[in-house]
Parts: sequence; structure tokens; C-alpha cells
Amino acid sequence: MMYGTKAIQLVKEIANGEKGQLTPFSSDVFSEVIAECSQHFADLRSLIRKMQEAGLDVETTKNEDHYGQLIHHLSLVRNKRCLMAYMYNRAEILRNLVWKVGSEIPEEIQEKLSHSEKEYFKKHSEALKSYMSRVVLELAVDMVPPKDPYIKVRVLDDMGEVELPSDNTANFARHSMHFLKRTDAEKYISLGKMEELTG
Amino acid sequence: MDPLLQETVLEKAGSIVRKVGSFLKMESYYDIDDILVEGQRVPVVFQQAVNGVDIDPSAETHCVEPGSKVELPYWLAHELHLRKVAKMKVPACFNQRTKLELGADGASVDLRSRCLYFYEFGCKIAPLVSDRDMGSFLLSAFRTRYQKILAKAHNAAFTAHSKLLSYLTKEETNLYEAAQSSMAAFKKWRIGGPRFERASVLGRKRKEAN
Repeated sequence: MMYGTKAIQLVKEIANGEKGQLTPFSSDVFSEVIAECSQHFADLRSLIRKMQEAGLDVETTKNEDHYGQLIHHLSLVRNKRCLMAYMYNRAEILRNLVWKVGSEIPEEIQEKLSHSEKEYFKKHSEALKSYMSRVVLELAVDMVPPKDPYIKVRVLDDMGEVELPSDNTANFARHSMHFLKRTDAEKYISLGKMEELTG
Repeated sequence: MDPLLQETVLEKAGSIVRKVGSFLKMESYYDIDDILVEGQRVPVVFQQAVNGVDIDPSAETHCVEPGSKVELPYWLAHELHLRKVAKMKVPACFNQRTKLELGADGASVDLRSRCLYFYEFGCKIAPLVSDRDMGSFLLSAFRTRYQKILAKAHNAAFTAHSKLLSYLTKEETNLYEAAQSSMAAFKKWRIGGPRFERASVLGRKRKEAN
């Protein structure tokens, strides 16, 4: 199999997924690519050793062993790029989600995340929270100023008694309708637990 | 201007600027499409012997002899070409037949099956191979097809053009979708509707909670 074929699988997973959607973390393919990297590294080293044993200058000699090293080196760099891009593009989706739904990982995506991604989600949301409390500003609210500070919503999921950011409590029974402060409702709409009613 | 429309327009403009920017630089480390472009195969002829690698499927040892013909992914072929270890040849998707077909009726050629990244790949290949007309050929192909794609995207329902869609490269599909979504955003702005929606990453369908 041509070098770098496994790594392409990871990248295609991101490319073929719907934009902004997460697929389950492919830990199997991911570790296979890492194993491939270790193999390239081992091959690279044994070629270097072979040249040293023959008494050749590794830095200047351009023989067939040198070009073999070159190919292993390039394959390593390529695999690294694919792995990094896989992680980076998933992390970007997670970062955006933190801004929308706050500190808890929604259960719909729990099982799609790797352990380190869950850590990342938590730490990013902690960092955001501590920054917002330092500047005393709620930065995660909608960027566009509302025409009306209150909106009408319908509750889609039974949530029971809930304490809202504006210090009120409300009883959100399923299908009940409420007139809420926009800032109180935003998070629940993003989580899919409420919908905005218009008209 | 309505904030929703304004936001959509700004978003679009931003993404176009980013696209053009990355197109001029021709690469971005984390760019998924760029990685896939560089994974496209290119035929090469080796000029030097190489030891300790398994890239020639016809070889029985771990060696490549000078003169061997192998198809390599661009990321490897390109570096070997620059170091004169191997010489790149023009990939099959840019052959004479494709050129003739594109010249005759550009808009109805199935480019997707030839190369999903026809233009991007062409741009990377062009400076390296001996074909001097490659650049102007790519540009004129894009020009003819672009016009037709935009006209279709704005005029008719999505499903009516599934045949057209199956001919488009990735770049062209992006353009088609951008045109469609800007139409959709315009209609939404005119009719109005809820501003907030469920975060799309959580999936569209809601689990039925009993």
C-alpha cells in the first residue's frame, strides 16, 4: 500500500462529513497512522546507520540510501500533517460549540469525542468562563442586538424547575410556553430544549 | 440593512476572501481540501535509484531502479521532482482528450469523475510539467462552466439538476452551494423567522423524549 494512504482516510472522514458535524473519533485508524509513523522513523534510522557503517558522510552523500531516507522523512511529515489537520478541524467544531452551549458537553456528542477532546472542551469552557467573569461581560450572547429583549418560547424537553441566569426560577414542563428574557432562553434553544415562537 | 442579511453577506464575503487568500498562497497547513489535492496521484519516472522503500508495486525488492515508472501522490512526487530524483509527467486527467472535450462543450463534461480537484490540482501541476498551455486551459474551462453553474443555481430547484451536480468538481460544487444558500438566506430575510436555532452540530432530528 502506498505511503500515507491510511492518513488520507482520516482526512476524508472530515471532508465527507456534513459541514460542522462531528463523526465518532476514529481511534483505530488514528493509532494505525501513528504506528506507520514509527515504522518510517525506524526505517529512516536504519538507513542512516547503514551509511554510517559504510563510513559515508550522512549529510552530503547523495546515494540511493539517502533518497530512501528522504522518502521516509517526507512520508512522516505528510502523516503528521494529516493527523494534525484531523485534530485541528475537530477542535474547531468543539470550540464553536462551547460558545453556544456553555460548559456541559451535550449528550448527543458525548460518545463521539475522544478522552482528550472532552478534556479540551472542559478546559476551553473554563477558560472562557473565567475570562468573562474577569471582564464582567456575558460574551456568549447573540452578537446582534435584539429588537425585543423578551421572546416567546415553547419547551420541548421536560426540565422541571430551572434557575435562570437572571436569577429567576421557572418550571419548564414539556410543551409549556413561556415569555422569557432572550438571554435566558438562548442556551436552551441551542441545546434543542426549547424553540422560539414567532408571529 | 437587516442584521440577519448583513451577517450572511459579511460571512460570505469573509469566506470568499479566505478562499482567494488561500488560493493565492496555494496552501494552508490544516486545510482539508489542500491535503486531499496533494494526495492526488501523479505518474513519475525515477532518475535515481532509491533504497529501502516500498513504493514501486512492480518491484520485488525494497528498491526502485532508475527508469521505473510509478504513480505517486503529489506530496511525494513534487518533492522528488524538485530534487531531480524523479521526473513528473502530466496526469491522465489533463490529457489531450479532456482538453478537446472541454474545448468543444465545456459545461457538459464530467470533470468530477476525472479529478474531484481538477483546478486546484492543475494549478499545482502546471509550473512543474512541460505543458505550457495548462494555465490558460484551466482558466478557460473554469470560465465556461462557471457561467452555467451560477445560472442553474439561481434559477431552478435543487433536485432538477442532480445530473449537473454529478459533473461538478469540489470547487464548482462549493460555488453552486454558495449561490443556493445566498438565495435561501435572501428568502429567509424577506419572510422572517426565528433567529435562534438548535446548534447544528447536535444533529437535525430531535430524539423523541417519551
